[in-house]
Amino acid sequence: MAAPSMKERQACWGARDEYWKCLDENPEDAAQCKKLRSSLESSCPRQWIKYFDKRRDYLKFKEKFEAGEFQPPKTAAKS
Amino acid sequence: MLLLAQAPKAWHRLFQLKPPALPRTPGGEAQHVRCRLLSRQGPAETGRQDQPQGPGLRTRLLITALIGAGLGGVWLAMRAEKERWQQRRRTEALRQAAVGQGDFSLRDHRGQARCKADFRGQWVLMYFGFTHCPDICPEELEKLVQVVRQLEAEPGLPPVQPLFITVDPERDDVAAMAHYVQDFHPRLLGLTGSAEQVAQVSRSYRVYYSAGPKDEDQDYIVDHSIAIYLLNPDGLFTDYYGRARSAEQVADSVRRHMAAFRSVLH
Repeated sequence: MAAPSMKERQACWGARDEYWKCLDENPEDAAQCKKLRSSLESSCPRQWIKYFDKRRDYLKFKEKFEAGEFQPPKTAAKS
Repeated sequence: MLLLAQAPKAWHRLFQLKPPALPRTPGGEAQHVRCRLLSRQGPAETGRQDQPQGPGLRTRLLITALIGAGLGGVWLAMRAEKERWQQRRRTEALRQAAVGQGDFSLRDHRGQARCKADFRGQWVLMYFGFTHCPDICPEELEKLVQVVRQLEAEPGLPPVQPLFITVDPERDDVAAMAHYVQDFHPRLLGLTGSAEQVAQVSRSYRVYYSAGPKDEDQDYIVDHSIAIYLLNPDGLFTDYYGRARSAEQVADSVRRHMAAFRSVLH
């Protein structure tokens, strides 16, 4: 399987950006973005989609982390 | 030399130094104890009885300054010699590294064999990646060729050779590399080779890479360290740039290295 050309890469990135925008607009309801999801799946190699999903999870986690949502547990110090 | 020339005269004069802070009566004939241990020059000296004997303060200061300057000169000369010797050793070590280290034996995207010596005399910006890379490699390569284009546009700067070396030799053969590099820059050279050759060049440049698991399509992603390496015209590794640096920052840095460059190979 040949690697995607520049045009194919850009089409894939465009589909990803659309899909992510939709997810950002519908944080609760991922089902709204089903059509964009299938468009993503047709534009990008499967490995890339897996990679982008992981990347999105990471970026969301990073946002939450930087917003301070994860605090260290207040357990008694054990030494 | 100055010190040696001054020495006899200075030492001679030192013997004529009087002990300080003795009061003098006008007219100068000795009413106070004079240290007779210090020899005098002879008859010529006696004529100068009414004048202050021996070198005055100014003369003593002058002699001290001259001796000090002489010693200082010797010290500076020795320090300069030591620095020259250290510089010679450093240059020799660099020369050996320029020839011996970071060498590679790969094939470019036109099928021609290439090694590091082929790029001697040119500044090289190189990036390690693979053609099936989802986003990072295209972005970094785009940044790299942007730097090359920026520097190309400046008159008086030598051209920079962009290199793309694959860390996925299993899939990235000569044809795949040719197909990939054409999208970026006409002078971007893709380099590939056998698994051993790629392993060797990656070791030389401390590049980590690890192919991930294959999926149903036999596709996989290669995890790898991300950096753009700068080699100087002697073939010595000079600097590296990570994801955080913009094209402008990289171009600035390359310009500075170009201005400071002095070859060790001629």
